[in-house]
Amino acid sequence: MTAAALETRNLTRRFGGLTAVDDVSMTLASGRLNAIIGPNGAGKTTFFNLVTGELRADAGSVTAHGVALTNLPPHRIVRAGVSRTLQIKSVFGGLTVADNVRAAVMAHEGVMSPFRSILSYGAISRRVADLIAEVGLERYADTKAQTLSYGDVALLELALALANEPKLLLLDEPVCGMGPQETERAVAKIKDVARRTDVVIIEHDMEVVFSIADHILVMAQGAILAEGTPAEISANAKVQETYLGAAEDED
Amino acid sequence: MSAAVNRAALLVLAAALLAVPQFLPLLNAGFWTNVVTEILIWSLLATSVNLLFGYVGLLSFGQALYFGFGMYGAALAVTHWNAGFWGGTLAGIVAATLMAVVAGVLAVRLTWHYFAIITVVFSLIFYFAAMSAKPITGGDDGLSFSAPPVFDAFGLKLTLADTVTQYYVVLGLTALCYGLLWLILRSPLGLRFEAVRENDRRARLIGINVYLCRLTAFILAGAVAGLAGALFAFFGRYASASYMFYHVSGEATVWAIVGGVGTLLGPLFGTALLIVFRELVSTVWENYLFAVGALTVLVVMFAPRGLAGLWSDGLAKLSGRSASQPDPQAGAAEAPR
Repeated sequence: MTAAALETRNLTRRFGGLTAVDDVSMTLASGRLNAIIGPNGAGKTTFFNLVTGELRADAGSVTAHGVALTNLPPHRIVRAGVSRTLQIKSVFGGLTVADNVRAAVMAHEGVMSPFRSILSYGAISRRVADLIAEVGLERYADTKAQTLSYGDVALLELALALANEPKLLLLDEPVCGMGPQETERAVAKIKDVARRTDVVIIEHDMEVVFSIADHILVMAQGAILAEGTPAEISANAKVQETYLGAAEDED
Repeated sequence: MSAAVNRAALLVLAAALLAVPQFLPLLNAGFWTNVVTEILIWSLLATSVNLLFGYVGLLSFGQALYFGFGMYGAALAVTHWNAGFWGGTLAGIVAATLMAVVAGVLAVRLTWHYFAIITVVFSLIFYFAAMSAKPITGGDDGLSFSAPPVFDAFGLKLTLADTVTQYYVVLGLTALCYGLLWLILRSPLGLRFEAVRENDRRARLIGINVYLCRLTAFILAGAVAGLAGALFAFFGRYASASYMFYHVSGEATVWAIVGGVGTLLGPLFGTALLIVFRELVSTVWENYLFAVGALTVLVVMFAPRGLAGLWSDGLAKLSGRSASQPDPQAGAAEAPR
């Protein structure tokens, strides 16, 4: 059996008196689409921030595909093959779509010559074109990212996250704020990517989660509440009570 | 179309700058040759601010420190080590670069107002140090020296005492500096700079070492300010700690912003506009700085991308009118690459 896509041991992070991630140990297997759900404030995004090195852990360890990531700086973790997208879509607004992707590919390739034109790298330019085509933004290659629609920004961000040929891709609420059509397009893309890369998503849209996830992990108050297949999770009484049921009551 | 216009404008600019020492005396304005020399030198200090603010998003109010190190590097090398013009210039650049390494290692850990404050603090510390180290720096009085010849071989002797020679030497070095920066800013390193400016969190998440990237830009900016300082020392045959004071930094920041940060040549035009303005108005009105202040506020309010922004917007509008399609190249002047 190959190493787990993502494994944490006793991962803990406190903010003052609040323990946002509380002694979390989990093993997310490779080769399936994993989802993390849970009410707001459950510690899901903090958990991602610990994995990608944007926050330092107070205790515990993180391993992805057998590579220890604990407390490495973010850029080193990216180079180790872990990418992520953010809840609030984050791209380089003042740069064109092509330069956005080019920056990511060049960072991945470690290219930083100070005197060659960025356009003189043939192989990189081809890879940039491929990535743009993969997310279907060919028409906008020379458009500044800040003028794209929300759904297109999300696709561009995905292209940036794919530029390092990630072995593990973390998606933080990938369809949050999208219309039905955009959601459909994004979900299709995520399924497609999950065929060759291990994916972990955080998502609030239960319809999306239960339709694409192979394995679901429920977090509440910084800890893991339950774990299992979509069928097991929807039948779990504890989950019903603290999360799924409660959400329905509120509606 | 705008790309072609920009190329033509650049040629006109180059031709005009080359013709300055021949043309201005015809108008009986030979004195202005020295003003243009001064503009070229100071534009490098504004460029140093621009490299940080316009390309990696760090607003520095302390670039005069590296200008001062450039001045003293050149002046001390000439007075104590008998360095020539080129040795002195190199000494100025090296001194400023080393200072930028030391300050940068600490300063670029911070961003925004924290970064701005620490750059001011650094320049104040060394300003007061230079002021009190009178035996070395001359303090307030400064250090006068006589400029060594630029070239003295094969029976040909070029000296800065000749205004025209001095102009061409400064123009040559300034152009060389802009040329190198142009290469750098269109390279993978330049793209990294812009990625960091646009979004440092995302830059980290695509694998860029943001700290190292900012430090590189900081050191580069220090070297450019050092060249400016060295040239200004030779231009005035004089180095003084008063040029390390933070109002000199502030002036450079204003020139850069009025000209348009994030564009290679914007700061040159900002510097030119405000220095010409100063030369014209200060002779008739001693409180001309009020007018400079008002002009700056107007630019920031109505043309936040500075003169360069006005230029590229104007071009976009013109090309939009001539060919109903908006030109995809619009803004090429803004992001030279």
